[in-house]
Order: sequence, then C-alpha cells, then structure tokens
Amino acid sequence: MTRIFLIIALAMVCGCKKWDDHNAITSEGLKQDLYEQISQDPSLSSFAELLEKSGYAEVIASSKTFTVFAPGNEALATLDPAIVNDPARLKRFVGNHIANQSWFTAPAGKTFNIEMLNGKYLRMQAKTVEDATITTADRYAKNGVIQVVDRMLPALDNTWEALENNTSIPAKQKAYMLSLFRNVFDVTNAEQIGVNPVTGEPIYRPGTDSIRTNIFWRNVHDLRDESRRFTLFVLEDAAWDTEVTKLNPFFVTGTADSTRDLSAWEVVKDFAVDSAYTLQTLPDTLTSVSGVRVPIEKAQIKQTILTSNGVIYVMGKIEVAPERKLLSFRIDAEFYRAQSVDKRGNTFFRDRFNPVTQLAFKDVLVFNHGTSRFNLSYRLQNMYSVKYKVYWVAVNDFQSNNFSQKLGIGTPDATLLDYVTVTPDNYEEVLVGEFTLDAFHPLLDIYLTAANTTNAANSALVCDYIRLEPSFN
Amino acid sequence: MKKLFILLAAVAVTGSSCKKMFDIKPEDELDVSDMYRNVYDADAAVIGIYGQFMGLAERYILLNELRGDMLEYTDNADRYLRQLSTHSVTPDNPWASPRPFYEVILNCNDVLKHFAIMHQENKLQDAEYIQRYSDVACMRAFLYLQLGIHYGEVPYVTSPLETVDALKDAGNFPRLSFNVLLDSLISATEALPYKEEYPSGTTLNITVDGYPTNKWFINKRCLLGDLHLWKGNYVQAASWYREVMETGTAGTVNGSYFSMYKLGWDSNGDIDHYIRYSRDGDETSLITNSEWRIMFEQAMNTEGFRREWVWAIPFDHKFKPANPFVKLFSPVGGDYLVKPSQSAIDNWNSQQQRTRSSAPQIPGQPYDARGLFTWREIGGQPVVMKYLYNYLNYNTNLPADILQRSGKWFLFRQTHLHMRFAEAANRTGRHRLAWGLFNSGIGGAYPAPTSNVTDYQNTLFEPYPFNFDARNSGSNGIPYYRSDWYRNIGIRARANLVSLQIPAADSLLQIEDGLINETALENGYEGTRWPDLLRIALRRNDPSFLADKIYEKLQKDGVPGAADARAKLMNQDNWYLPFDL
Repeated sequence: MTRIFLIIALAMVCGCKKWDDHNAITSEGLKQDLYEQISQDPSLSSFAELLEKSGYAEVIASSKTFTVFAPGNEALATLDPAIVNDPARLKRFVGNHIANQSWFTAPAGKTFNIEMLNGKYLRMQAKTVEDATITTADRYAKNGVIQVVDRMLPALDNTWEALENNTSIPAKQKAYMLSLFRNVFDVTNAEQIGVNPVTGEPIYRPGTDSIRTNIFWRNVHDLRDESRRFTLFVLEDAAWDTEVTKLNPFFVTGTADSTRDLSAWEVVKDFAVDSAYTLQTLPDTLTSVSGVRVPIEKAQIKQTILTSNGVIYVMGKIEVAPERKLLSFRIDAEFYRAQSVDKRGNTFFRDRFNPVTQLAFKDVLVFNHGTSRFNLSYRLQNMYSVKYKVYWVAVNDFQSNNFSQKLGIGTPDATLLDYVTVTPDNYEEVLVGEFTLDAFHPLLDIYLTAANTTNAANSALVCDYIRLEPSFN
Repeated sequence: MKKLFILLAAVAVTGSSCKKMFDIKPEDELDVSDMYRNVYDADAAVIGIYGQFMGLAERYILLNELRGDMLEYTDNADRYLRQLSTHSVTPDNPWASPRPFYEVILNCNDVLKHFAIMHQENKLQDAEYIQRYSDVACMRAFLYLQLGIHYGEVPYVTSPLETVDALKDAGNFPRLSFNVLLDSLISATEALPYKEEYPSGTTLNITVDGYPTNKWFINKRCLLGDLHLWKGNYVQAASWYREVMETGTAGTVNGSYFSMYKLGWDSNGDIDHYIRYSRDGDETSLITNSEWRIMFEQAMNTEGFRREWVWAIPFDHKFKPANPFVKLFSPVGGDYLVKPSQSAIDNWNSQQQRTRSSAPQIPGQPYDARGLFTWREIGGQPVVMKYLYNYLNYNTNLPADILQRSGKWFLFRQTHLHMRFAEAANRTGRHRLAWGLFNSGIGGAYPAPTSNVTDYQNTLFEPYPFNFDARNSGSNGIPYYRSDWYRNIGIRARANLVSLQIPAADSLLQIEDGLINETALENGYEGTRWPDLLRIALRRNDPSFLADKIYEKLQKDGVPGAADARAKLMNQDNWYLPFDL
C-alpha cells in the first residue's frame, strides 16, 4: 500500500511542470475582455467607436458574460448618420447587437431565440443571425464571445410600433385599431380607500383602478410582446370598407357608427395570428384565436413589412364569408345562471354516455320541482342580428312518458319558439325551431322553461346543450 | 497488516487484562445472551419482526401490482421499475432480489429458535409460547408464499442461519417447486397450535398512539385459507375463510355482530363503506367524506376500520420506519414513480351503476365511482390515491404538513375474504352462492318471492362452510326473523353497481373471471393483483389469462415491448423473477 502511495507521490512531483502547462491560457483572446478585443481589431473599428459613443463599451468590459454580434466596418458604412447622432436611437441600435450569456454557433437545424440588451429578440441559426451571416464565428474573450457579422442588425420596430409608425400602413384599418384604446379595470396599481359596508367590496381611489390599454392587445394578441412572434394582416382601405360593409347587416343597432364599429371589430379580430409566417411558410388558410378560418391569397399581398417580432402583410383583399365569421353559440345546460325558484334539491347533475356520438357528457335534470313554468336561465353575449336555427340534446332516459319544454328567447314565456316534446331515449340533436333577431344584442337572456303544470312527470326539464346556429338562407 | 499491528499494540498495552477485555459486552448494543429473558423480550422480538417486515411494504406493492395490469410506471421511474412492468427483469434489478424476504425469514427462524429455548427454560409459559410461536411462524409462511408467487422455486429454510449468503449453497438448501412449497407451508401452518389473535390485554393486543395493535399481526386463518386456495383445496380454504367471516358472530347481537367481516350494512356511512349519493342520480352529491373512500382514511381505532380491515400496518410520522408510499405514489412531496394504468382506468369506466329506485328513474352513472376514489388527477397526472388519504387532504390535494407522512399498509380486508371465499365456493360448484357474495349478497342471490322467507334467503341445505342463513322476514313478516347474514349485501351492491349478468352455461369460468375483475375494481393497488392473475392462470393452466392482460396494459399505456412481454408470459417459466440472492 505504502509503495503505491510513494509511486503516486513521485509521479505527482515529476508531473508538476506539465500540469502548469496544461492549465496555462493558450488562446491569447482569453486574456482580453470583449471590448479590448473589439477595439484592437482594425476591421471592427467603426463598431468599437459606436460602442464607445453609446456607453456599451463599459458594459461589455464588465465581469458579466455577453455575446457581441460585431458588424465589420464595411457593413456599418451605410449606417444612417441620424441614428449615430441620436443617443437614444444609437443605444437601441447598438443594444441590438449584444446579448447576455455566451451564444455559440450550433449545427444547422437548431434555432436560438436570443434576447438582446435592448429587449428585442434575434434568431440565430447555424452561422446566420436574422439575415446576416457570421463571418468569424465563436471568437473567445475573457467575458464572452464575439460573432463577427457581415451586416448590421438594425433594431426594427415591433409589430404594434410598426402599425403606428410605418407610413405605408393603410389608413383605415390602422385608424380603427388605434381607436381601440380603453380604460380597463385593473387593480395592480389601485389604491384602496375604503370598504363598501354593504357588499364588503373594496373601494379604490378614482383614477387608480384602471389602466389604459388597447382591447386588441387583450382580446386578440398583444402585438407589443417582443418575446413572441406574430403575423398581422392589414387591409387596403377599399378592401377594408368592403369587408366592414359586408358585415353591417349582422350588427343592426340604433346608429350607423356603432354598427360600423362592431362590424369593424368582427373583421379585425381575425387578422392576427401568433406565428410569424414568411412568404414561403404562409398557409392558404389561417385559424384565428376566435376559431374563424381566414383564407389568405398570396397574390393579394401588396407589401411585406418585417418587424422585430414578426411580419405585417398589407393585403389587397381578404374575403371571409359571413358564414365563416358568424359562429354558432353553444350553451352547456348544466351551467345555468339561475333557477326561477331555488330547486337545487330537485336538480340532478348527471354523468351520461351518448351512444350516438360515443362520447361522455354531463347534463342537468330538474324533476318534481312543483312549479308551473319553472325555468333555468342562461345569458348569451354579442348576438348577431340574423336568423337562428336552434337545436338541443335533451335525453329523457328517466321515464317512459313524453313531456315538453321550450326555450324562451328574452323572457321565460316568449312565444318565438314553441314547446317541444321530449321523447324517451333520444340522444340526437333535435331542431327546436327558428327565430330572427332584428337587432344586435350585446346581452340576450335565454330560458329553458318547463311545461305549465306542476305534475312531476310532465314538468321535467332536461338538457345537455343548446346550440344556436346562424342561418343565412 | 495495519490492523494486525494495531491489534498487537492494543494487546501489548492492555497486557494482562486480556481475558476481561474480550468478555466485556458492548455498551450500545444488546447482546444475544441478554435478548430473551422474559415474555416482554419475546414481545419485543415479535414487534422487531413486524418492524422489519414493514421495510418490505414498498417491495410488496411493487412486485404484486407493478407486475400486474393495473399499475404503470411514470416517466420518473428508473429502468428497474420499468423492467418490473414490462416483465423484462434483469438479474441486477434490486427489486427482483429475494434477499430482503430471506432476511426477515432468517430472523423469524432465529426468533423461533430462541422462543423454544425460552420455553424450555420456563421463561415463557405454554400459552405465551404458542401464541408468539404461531404468529412468527405464520409470518414466515406468508413470506414464503410471497416468495413462491414471485420466484416459483425457492429454498425452504426453517433453521436459523447467520447470513443470507449461507443460502447460496444449493447443496444444503435445495429449491422447492411452488407446489411442493405450498404442501410444506400448509402442513407446517395447520400444525400450529394457536390460530386466534393475541388475547386482549397482553402487550401485543393493546392500543398504542391510537393504533390498536391487533390489526398489525397476520390473520392466521386467512393465511391458511390462502395457502389452501393456492393449493386447490377449496373446501379447506373456504372453511378457514368462513371462520374469519364469522369473527363478529359472538356475544351481543348488535351492528358489529351483523356486519363485521360479513359485508353487512349498519346505517352508518363511516362503517358501511358504500358508494352512495346523497341524492341518487345527481353525480355532484357523491359522498366523499364518509362511506367507501373513508375506509382508507379513517383512523385504525375507529369502528369502521375495525369492521372492514383484517390486516393493516400503520406508517406514522411519529415512528419509524418511514412511509414509502408517498415517495412511490405522490406527485406532491413524493417522486411519483407509479400511476394507474389506462386499462385499469378503462375498467372502472366501463361499469354501470344502479338505476335510481324512485322517480325520476335516472339510469346509474356510466362508471364505477370506486375509481374516482382509487385514483384521481393531480396537476394533470393520474395518481393512485388509496395510500395518500392520511397525507393529502381530499378536498385540496395538498398535504397538511409535507413532512408528516402518515399512511397505512393495506394487506387484507373483508372484501378479499369474501372474494376468495367465493372463488373457493365457485370451484366446488356453488356458483350461485359465489355470485351472490360479490354481487347482491346472499339474500339477493336467493330472493324470497313473498314475505314468507322460510325456504329462501339461505343456503342451509349446503354443508359447512357453505351454509349461510340470510333470512329476513321484513318489517311485517310473522314470525319476526333476522338471521346472522341478513345484512350481507354483496360487493357490487355496496359499490352501487348493477350485478354482473352470468349466462347459464359455463358459469364456473365466467364467475371466476368476474370475481377476479371485481377484486381489481374493489381492491386495486392493495397488493393482490399479480397473485390473483397468477393463481387463476396456474389453476386453468392458461398462460393467456395472464399474458393478455399484461399485453393490454402495456399497449394501452404506449409502452414499447408489449408484444414481447406477451410472448414471454405465454411461457410459464417466465412468470417468475430470476432467483438471485
């Protein structure tokens, strides 16, 4: 044992020198920080000047780790002097070339989404970053890595900024989208000044309980988000007018302006998707967040505007038929808002299996409630002015005799739709009837109403779901 | 070399006190000569055996369930657990080693030897001796039965050995086939003089920290029933089970008399353990804080626990060993290594509950609500819940205290008892009785057409142990009549399920299939699935009974190698784990 120790000890003594050699810094680059390296490289002198001027020279000389995408002098020759002379713009420009951490080039096929110091994201794939090519890759420095690129990486506007600032965006859709700023309730910065003694709800100081925001950001996509990628379509003015006018009949209101506003929203809400599609990858149909399928004709693309988080296509035409826009309304009957009389003790929430669809479903049954015209109420929002075909699935599997129930549109006893007989063991969708709304309804109450009797078997209410399908003929 | 030197030096230093030095007993360990002095030491030895046995809990569940078709590994599991599930166990798999079983067995042997010496030296009285001897011997037989189930051929050793390694000498310890092993176990266990539980008042049948200790110890009659059932001695098996089923039939005629181990109702949700809706037909009214689920959560000193459970051992954060089940099953504070298989989930979801009896006559929910309590989704992941109800709050899925991991090791309860009795009865040709026990009870299987129940609701025409009297004259019947078994309601009725329909022809195999499947639904994850499948496959000499179920599990869970596993299990030699000490 001891002998082995001795041998190891001897070996270590002999190896000492070699060990030092092994540990020594062999790459000269590792002795210098990023800024020293860049400033000593004559081919990068222009960029070094910009670093100095923008104040980033100190940042990349610090002890944190960075990746610098350094454009060569030729690449910077075409830089707009206006940027150089505007400190804010210069900072934004130079910041678009520096990222935290070391990012090394990787084999093709792997894309890095890299957050730059100005908050924007660039995509690096193999030896390209955005549309620039990395000419000298992976130059080590003491505190990071330098990727020399053959083009500058301009800090583009994001999609929302481009919509606001880019002069080639058609005016009408832009104006509508910019008109969507609203004050929205938000307690993040609210100051509470009391408690409502009746409801126990907090009372906030006026002016602190809301934020000003664009409802497009909230309900469709927040096009300002740099970390995500979007495609936005903007219609040319004539096409915009055509599309909006086409939808006007479905949004009949008291004033032409509010009709137009509603139609315009219906048009624009399907015009952004959360992927950036290039001309090559753009499919012929896109599905929007609200589930509308939007046909895209590439021939109609009039202009392509690249943004820092995606792309904007200015379109000569996007025709979406109203049949595609105006989707069915579906009410799951077990999620009612209220019962006309509290009959929870007679209400059964049931797990059932539908042999027609081969799917499990949940429905509601109210039995022996002892109330004539007992009803369950539901509330629908944003109902178009159009004719509706109404269907339901109501499974009478609990008794052998028929009973009847109806849908009251607006009021429990409205006669727009008649009583319908519910026959035993019918798992199919049943056409309840048709009715037409003459005006757009922001809110519409619908009632599932039992027969006008207190007899238990005849006054049962049962429903899986109700479907209101806009009808265009 | 070095050691020797130190030893020499030490000897030199201590010099003449050499003799004394070697006679000194260690201060911090109990020397064997001081271990067995009186009956309390003997009790300590018994508790020691069970304490060591608790260390096998995790292994017991994994071997008996993960090898079966109801439990599946998760993405968190290592390759050894995956091997258990896919029946591709390599000899280096630590779960496959029989060594931990033998460590307990050899301790049993050692304890039994010393009990005999104590008895000879009059340190144990006759009664004390046979009680403790019988208990430890039964524990050993139980372990051998487990070894037989998982390894097929094992060495049967009843003499004390110092280490497990001594077993490796195959010359001294030939391996017995499973069938021969069963013969040895039956003759040894039948011969034991004492088959009751410990007399109350002794240190082994008291209540400690709220735990009645009598449930900790193996039920000797159940073990004998099991041994005979495996062997195929159906009448003897049924006789032993029947004795346990009649445990409550003594003393005052009260709820316990009618319901303990009889699967009888007592109009008390904490005792009945039904699947019950406070309003039939409304699935949101499923009772969750009492009834069926509560048997896994309720304290061991409650009446409901006492009447349901035959054998269960507590894991409590206040004493060792630690609860292994949180690690195994829980995604909250545990490693979540295993989950319910899709085929088990499908099985619960393909059952039909009973139609509401009054208007509206809503058909039952199209699933077995026991599934909702046996497993549930936590954070989008299916989790086996039975072992976690003392740890996770049912309403929140959160632990009251993430460091306090109490739980229980569930080994045997009245549904096992009834199912196995029915299995034996079915094999002796008493199909209707067997069907009744797991469907709608004895009364339900032999219904009375009128209130005259004289010739109905009983099997008194059968010899013992198949003669049950479930007569009940109803509220107006004259004479007023309530027999011992009148409250027996059957396992599926208790779970609110419709009875299994059996066509008249070939009822033997169909009832047996139904029984095994019902055990899966009722007793899933309680450590009997693989043995149940194995026992039937052996009895019918039908490998496909086992292989097809494992194949279905692996295929539905998308586990590679399903076809390989099936092909392998079609060969009976591959039903057993490699025996590698």
